[in-house]
This record gives sequence, C-alpha cells and structure tokens, in this order.
Amino acid sequence: MEPGETACVVTEAESAGLNTIEYNITRFVQILRRLGVRVSLAETVDAVSALAGIDLLDKSRVRAALKACLAKSRREAGIFDQAYGLFFTTPEEKARRRQQYREARAERDRLINTAERELMEVVEEWQRDLPEKIVLTEQQLETFSLMPESGKERMKEILDRMKSNPVNNPGELINRVLQSSLNYWRYYMMKNAAGGGKAGTLPEEGSTGDEEMDEVIRSVDAHFYHHPGDRILHRDMESLDDSDIPRMTSLISHMSSQLALGISRRYKRSAGTAAVDIRRTVRRNIRYGGVPIELRYRARRRKRPRFLLICDVSASMARHARFVLQFIYGLNSALGGLESFIFSEDLERTTEFFSKNRNFARSMTDMINGSRQWGKSTNLHESLKTFLRHYGDKLTPDTVVFIVSDARTVAPEAAAGLLRDIKLKCADIIWLNTLPRREWEQKAPVKLFCGLADMYECSTLSQLEKALRRHVFKYA
Amino acid sequence: MDLNLDELKRAMEKEGYVSEDDLAVTVYLALTLKKPLLVEGAPGVGKTEIAKVLGRVFDTEVIRLQCYEGLDENKALYEWNYQRQLLKIQILKDSCPHEDIEKDLFDEEYLLERPLLKAIRSDRRVVLLIDEVDKVDEPFEAFLFELLSDFQVSIPELGTLEARQIPIVVLTSNGDRELSDGLKRRCVYLYIDYPDIDKEVRILQMKVPEAGERLNRQIAAAVNYIRSNLDLRKQPSIAESLDWARALVALHADVLTVENLTRTVNLLLKNRDDRLQVLDGGVLDEIMRHALGEKAGEKGHTHCHCHGNLPASSN
Repeated sequence: MEPGETACVVTEAESAGLNTIEYNITRFVQILRRLGVRVSLAETVDAVSALAGIDLLDKSRVRAALKACLAKSRREAGIFDQAYGLFFTTPEEKARRRQQYREARAERDRLINTAERELMEVVEEWQRDLPEKIVLTEQQLETFSLMPESGKERMKEILDRMKSNPVNNPGELINRVLQSSLNYWRYYMMKNAAGGGKAGTLPEEGSTGDEEMDEVIRSVDAHFYHHPGDRILHRDMESLDDSDIPRMTSLISHMSSQLALGISRRYKRSAGTAAVDIRRTVRRNIRYGGVPIELRYRARRRKRPRFLLICDVSASMARHARFVLQFIYGLNSALGGLESFIFSEDLERTTEFFSKNRNFARSMTDMINGSRQWGKSTNLHESLKTFLRHYGDKLTPDTVVFIVSDARTVAPEAAAGLLRDIKLKCADIIWLNTLPRREWEQKAPVKLFCGLADMYECSTLSQLEKALRRHVFKYA
Repeated sequence: MDLNLDELKRAMEKEGYVSEDDLAVTVYLALTLKKPLLVEGAPGVGKTEIAKVLGRVFDTEVIRLQCYEGLDENKALYEWNYQRQLLKIQILKDSCPHEDIEKDLFDEEYLLERPLLKAIRSDRRVVLLIDEVDKVDEPFEAFLFELLSDFQVSIPELGTLEARQIPIVVLTSNGDRELSDGLKRRCVYLYIDYPDIDKEVRILQMKVPEAGERLNRQIAAAVNYIRSNLDLRKQPSIAESLDWARALVALHADVLTVENLTRTVNLLLKNRDDRLQVLDGGVLDEIMRHALGEKAGEKGHTHCHCHGNLPASSN
C-alpha cells in the first residue's frame, strides 16, 4: 500500500470511530481473551486509563503500560508480547499477512476439495444404498489431504476390499471405519508434529469473524510454546522426545518438591492441638469478671487424609506413567504412607518401591523388571477385582483414591460397577485422564467413568501439577 | 510528592535500583492509578527491594507484612489488647452491668494495630509491603480483597475503617502457588526475570563498584552462563551475584580465575549438587570461557597462581 493510500484508510477509519485508542484496545483485549488470557472489564478500563499518563509516541512505554494492566502471569505476559507485536503493527504489514493467509486458505480449500473427491469416488457405490450420505467434517478431509500418499492408498485399498464383505449394512460399517481411521490419523499426526507445533493447550476457539483479529490469534497460537521450558510443561507427555526426558525429569523433581514443601507445612500445623481463641474467650467470660472459666477454641483443621494411587501402565500409558510415578515419588516425601498400585491386565502393589530412602531411577528399574503389567493391554475390571479382593481393607472413609488412566479398557461397564463399590468405601475418587479433553466426548468409557469420579485432564505436566495441587491441598 | 515517569526512574536509580522502562512504567502506573503493585519472579531478583526503594524515594515508612501459611487477620490486621481488657473487666466488675463493660471494651483504645491496619490508619502515605503473598491460604487472600480494592477494612466491633492516606502497596510472590484471579485483577502486574549481562553489570557496578568494571562484567557473564545453560536446583539470584562479587573483592581478586571461582562458589550456589555440577572440569572451563569473553576454540589464561592477587598491570 502506498503511503498516500495508507493515510486515506486511516482517516476514513478515524472518521468512523474505528481507529480510536479505546476501539483498538477493546479489539486487542478480545484477542487476548480468545488466547486464554482472562481480562476483565475493570482491567480494560485500567489499560485505557494507564495510557493517559504515558507518552503515546513512545512505543515501548505504551507496550509496558498495557502489559502491566492486561497480563497477570508469566504465561500471560508471553502471550501478550506475541499478540502485541502482531496486532499493533503497520497497516502494510497487516495487509501482507492477510494476503498470505488468504492464499493459504485458498490452497487449503483446494486440498480439501481434492480429498473429498478422492474419498467419495471410493465410497460412491455404497452411497447409493445408504439412507443418509457419508458426511465428513472439514477437519477429517484436511487430515486425509495431509496424510502421506502411502497412507492414503492403503486406506482406499482397505475400503475397496470391504466391497466383498458380506455384512448386513456395509454402508454403515464403511462410514464407521472411514471416520475412525481419519480420527486416528489426525491424532497420530498431531502427536508427531515436530518441535511442539501446536501444543493443543491454548484454547481452540472458533473464528471471531474479523480477519485481522483471527490472523493474530492464529499466529500466537502457533508460536507461543516455542520456549523449551513452556513446550515441555504444556505439551502432551506422550509426545515428548527422548531428548526432552532429562529436562522433564528435572522439572518434575523441582515441581514435586515445591508441592511437597507446601503440604508438609500444612500437615505440621494441623498436627498441633486446638488453640484457645482469646477474643471469644474474653467475650464469653465477661460475665465471670474476666476470669477465663469457659474457654473457646479455634476451629480444628480437618484430619489428614490418606492417599491411594492406582496408575495405568498399559502400552498406551507407559510414557505418561513414568512421569506420573516420578511426580508421586517426589510427593511421597511429604505425604508418607502413600499406597500405590500399577495395573494393566491385572493389578500389582508398588508401595514398597516408593519408600523415602530409595533412589527413583533404581525404583523404576526394579518396578519395571519385576512387573508383569508394564506395557500390556488394559483390563480395569480385572484389576479393580484384584484390588478389592486383596487390598479392599486399604479403603477407609478418609481415603482419597487417585486413578491415572486414559480409560481405554475392555469391559468398561463391569469396571464401572466395581468403581461404584470403591466410591462407597472411600472419601473421593479423582481420575486423572491423560487423554486430551477434546477427545472425551467421543469415548464411551470416559463418559461412563466421568459420572463416578471427578475427572481432570492430565495430558501435560502443567495439568498434572495443577490437578494434584488442587486436590492434595483440598483434602490436606 | 508527585513524580513523572522519568523522574521516578531517575529517583529509583539514585536509590540504587536499576530499572528498565518496563519496570519503571509499571511502578509509575501503580502510583498514578493508586493500585497495588503485584511483583512476581524468582527469589532474589529484587522484588522486595522495589518496596524499600519506594520508601526511600518518597521518604516514607515501609510497613512490612511477611506472609506465611497460617497467617490470619489477628496477626495481619488487628488484635484486641486482651490484658487491658481483662484488667478493665476486673476494675469494673462490681460497678457496671456486663453489657456496658462489653460496649467499652471493644473501643479503639483497646485495638492493637498490626501491619495492614497500621498502613491504612497512618497519617502519611506509607509503603505497605505484603511480602510472599503466595504463601498465605486462599481465605486470607480473599480477605485482602477489600483492602486492595477499596483501601478499607472491616472490624466487626467497630465497623469499616477507611484509609486516611492511600498507601503504596507492593505485593510480592515467588510463584509457589497461582494467585487468585480476584487478587490479580485488583493489581498492576510486573514479572521480573533474571537480568541480562548488561543489566547485571550495571547492578554490580552500582552496588559493588570496588570490584571494578572488568571483574563485574566477568561475574555477570559467568552467572548468565550458569543460569542459561545449567540445569540447577536453584538458580543464582542477583543477591548471590552481589555476595560473590563482594567475596572476590575480599580476596583481592580483580579478574575471575578457576581458582578463585572454586574457592568462592559456595556464595553463589547454595546446593551441594549444583556446586558439584559447576565444579565439573568441562563445565568450569565453559564458564571461564564465557566469563572471559573468549570465542569457542580459543584457550585463555584462566588459571591464576597468585591466589587472586594480580599485579595492577593486569588492569
């Protein structure tokens, strides 16, 4: 855009009230909110007021003033910096980015149309007999378009082979196979997105309807977790590379010791005897001339609960389990007496591996070598049966049971029945699910277990720490 | 005293606090918008120091509330003077009905001010430092809301007490626990990260000028390398860099050497595993290489055999 043209655009926008400070800050706040930064109306007002005392021509001071009012944590400050640079830029730069996006969008539409054509050619024969046509989402078509050629050919081949399959309703079967393999491929490709790509923890919001704002949101979303520490904290634990493990191990060690420190302080306090509440005692004893005949006490803290961990170590959970167990190992230094079990096809007790004086790496090696459960398939029903049969007496009304699992199990209904029995015998069941929350809706067992336990997403280290902090402190 | 942004920045520097634009703007906004300033960052980056410096800049008292788990309003806000109350009851017990005694007993004269009450009842604008607010329980955090947004407190027996002068409030947090949205919303926010080499040199020059610019630059470069490249249990803070510089000065060192680094590393790193990591041969060489500003592959004179006493000509 020529300078003259830019001036015209700016003047036009100003006359329509679209280029005022208030208007731009409001739009910027909307972007931040879409990116998961919680900005209240009061903070927006503060931001506008803040600019009144700042030289508006000094870019770095304007940035600092807005940041002080709108971003209230280190993470939010990171998002703010990214979004600020993208939003408050020259009209030329904005136009260039918009053009780039339009081109990318057109290319994506072309790929999706081609994918749809290719897939419909293969399934056309069944489409005729189906009462409802196969409808694939844009996301599924995009997945197909991004699949490697060999994968596409293999999928088409499988669908083609199913033509000769003598089942009652081949159309419905083919629809199910197609949908689930596309979903699998999407999950697989996201997991393998090199270098963190999209971490999946920033909210996946829909479009704002404003091209310029959408562009900023997309760019921040893609770039925010490029900081190595943030990437590890917020990325699905299963998708971490082997090279990330030492950093992850050290992060877990730090986080669990911080959490343990807080818990031990709290327990120390709660172990004391009840203290006299002097104010209430004086009041109560005025009638006796101030002689403290009737003592009044401060409310006693709740008794320390017992924690019991049941961790899934099946093939789909093996990597998560390693990190979760390390975290629990760190916490055990403060909690002490934590009962722990691992399970896949059946259940094994692992409490002795978590004793305070043992080295974690050695404990893990011993546990994996001595276990017959590591990396097998999941049977929660069988495992809970063993638990109730041999260790049912570990459940008391003050026991909080933590289950760590992705809920992919055979016989989920039967397992749910036993979970119901466990719930009757303990204080609470907290389920830490390593499956991303966006996939819960599609998994029937997850929905089933959700009704029986408080379920929290726990696919990243940050979520694991938050969930444990919230619940361990709640009961402490 | 009203200061504009540049004056405030200069005044803070004059009081020994090196502040960049981001920091100065945020502090300035807290002062002009009359909002509490919430400062987060790792231990030892200078969060508490901001409050002390503001106290000196505005020549006013700094009232400090040190937070810890279990802190309650009796220790933070006010307490009744029970001894005096008991004495009064004893004196009046035969001459007054107990309803009247009760009315008299809960009067301001029996009130013991704790830091929060002292700050809002002060006739001057004081600096109220609420240090390590992340250590308190959530209910206490919620209790602070009234003070932080309206600068008033409620005492059941006396009603609401409003601030005579709105204090300059500085809250600090090490990020041990995420603070509630309610608290954050009421504050202007500042995150202080570890400084880059140039800023750390400026801080060292300001606080330990006797070390000389060359040694201070080497210290800053070495500390920067340690923070950015080693996976330590506890990163060295600015306060520890300053202690290290002072220790080196005490040993009459005017250049960093493997020898004096080894002898003084316990002032920089307070954890045994961290110290062992730094004292590992390869790591030590890398630290020295960065401290002396050598390029990869270059071998410098990193060993000193004169126990830190270099001749003046080495300057």
